[in-house]
Amino acid sequence: MPLLEVRGIRKAFGGLQAVKHLDFTVEPGEILGIIGPNGAGKTTVFNMIAGYFPPDAGEIIFKGEAIAGMRPWEVSRRKIARTFQLARPFGDLTVLENVMVGGFLHQGSREAARQKAEAVLRFVGMSPQADVEAHTLTVVDRKRLELARCLATDPELLLLDEVVAGATPAEASAMMDLIRKIRDNGVTILMVEHVMRVIMGLSHRVLVLHHGETIAVGEPQAVSRDPAVLKAYLGERYGQA
Amino acid sequence: MANRHGNRSLPASLAGTAALLVLLLLPLLVRDEYYLHVLIGSLYFAYMASAWNVVSGYTGQLSLGHSALSGIGGYLSTLLFINTGLSPWIGMVIGAACASAVGVLIGWPCFRLRGPYFALTTIAFAEILRIWTENTEEILGIELRGAQGLSVPLKGHSPALFQFQSKLPYYYIVIAMLVAVMAITWWMERSRLGFYLKAIRADQDGAEALGINSTRTVLAAMALSSFLTALGGSFYAQYFRYINPERNMGLDLSIEMALMGIVGGQGTVWGPVLGACLLTPAGEISRATLGGKFPGLHLVMYGLVLVLAVLFLPKGLIHPIRRLAGRRAGRQVGKRACPA
Repeated sequence: MPLLEVRGIRKAFGGLQAVKHLDFTVEPGEILGIIGPNGAGKTTVFNMIAGYFPPDAGEIIFKGEAIAGMRPWEVSRRKIARTFQLARPFGDLTVLENVMVGGFLHQGSREAARQKAEAVLRFVGMSPQADVEAHTLTVVDRKRLELARCLATDPELLLLDEVVAGATPAEASAMMDLIRKIRDNGVTILMVEHVMRVIMGLSHRVLVLHHGETIAVGEPQAVSRDPAVLKAYLGERYGQA
Repeated sequence: MANRHGNRSLPASLAGTAALLVLLLLPLLVRDEYYLHVLIGSLYFAYMASAWNVVSGYTGQLSLGHSALSGIGGYLSTLLFINTGLSPWIGMVIGAACASAVGVLIGWPCFRLRGPYFALTTIAFAEILRIWTENTEEILGIELRGAQGLSVPLKGHSPALFQFQSKLPYYYIVIAMLVAVMAITWWMERSRLGFYLKAIRADQDGAEALGINSTRTVLAAMALSSFLTALGGSFYAQYFRYINPERNMGLDLSIEMALMGIVGGQGTVWGPVLGACLLTPAGEISRATLGGKFPGLHLVMYGLVLVLAVLFLPKGLIHPIRRLAGRRAGRQVGKRACPA
């Protein structure tokens, strides 16, 4: 049984069909990458899964339960965590306190939440910055902090929205290692990414969105050779360069 | 990590204990009733600003109608006392519970929206309540006496009925109330509720992604804040033995509560107390010395103080003090991130 099953979801904003008709599944333990040109509907798909707005039609099934139309916190409590394209830490709080906010979801006491947060910070390698005020972090560290916050909620499915955007190649490689480590700990990952090296290197399968529809899905190598993908996505970009 | 919080709270708790001792012993030195009155006023406002701070300071949802909650508390405890003889000690808890419910009803539709709706709704609600009370002589056979206000019937020295001959017991009662509201704020700040409130204030979408039901969390703070504010309204009624719509539920009181919180430093335990302890005597002095010649001058001063505070100390007066205290205790406040 797939961990997440998306069946025929649709979303329009006024006259704009952001997502026309979309079916896909995420299998337990895999990393599924979603790529597509700007405006393809990638973030819209995330927002529907994570409960930020309901799909106009279609179903989203997580572990056998229909979650379409639930509010963000209800989705989060069912162990789906998400990051945002623009990572915004809770600026007044320290790095540790930021992660504790996530830790409180399944830990009753302040002490337990703190221990959870410390363990997560060790895992993502941010322990040295635990007492730093979060608003002073670099863009890349903000993304790592956001990831840590998510992990503190013990997710089974993690939705990553462009976590390496703005990173140097070295930082991107470190982030890739971290994402692999998270997957190895049993967290299934659905990620949206623009950086080809990252998405091709990490994903077990890649889904290509264009104008709100799937134009290809499969293993990274196969997808990258798909004529439809080259035309719609890679062709467009490389043609301009 | 544990001693980090220890470091942060150590100077604060030392300062707090010292301040409390001074306050408790101060009446031995201050014999003049007027100065005692100014002290009680400052502490009352410190209490009210702290109660306001529980919701507005920690959630960033500005309330400019907290006087309505104070009015509900003051009027209910007084009306229950006049009409049924119920001790205001009990009446104030009933009033606070009602204010809590009203606070949730005001907040519920607003917190589901984003933007200034809460601030606007609180002003509107408080003003409607004040105008209605000012123009209502009686309702359902209960005398409200409109703009004249209500006097609390005199029973002489009667601790069980929250009435005392001298100002001194009121002084100690308001100290106890202030210590209680500060302890509640301190506890809240460290609890799951406090973490959630600060997360919502910083980024509501981000908070909801971590499983936080933002509406319910902010409503919990609103309920608590309303409860505490109404207790303050009842105290006011008992202390002056008189309440009227203008003083106990008017816009002035709402603005003063918010102003003291903002100037002192919202979202902190000590900020509103600091704000009240500076602004109340300042207002009192300007009213006493200039009030006759320039009525309303204290309001101009408040405006000026607010502008200056927002321009130069947007996080409140408490912020530079905290940094200093933190540095003394060896804590690195605002430590820069070392590039990873």
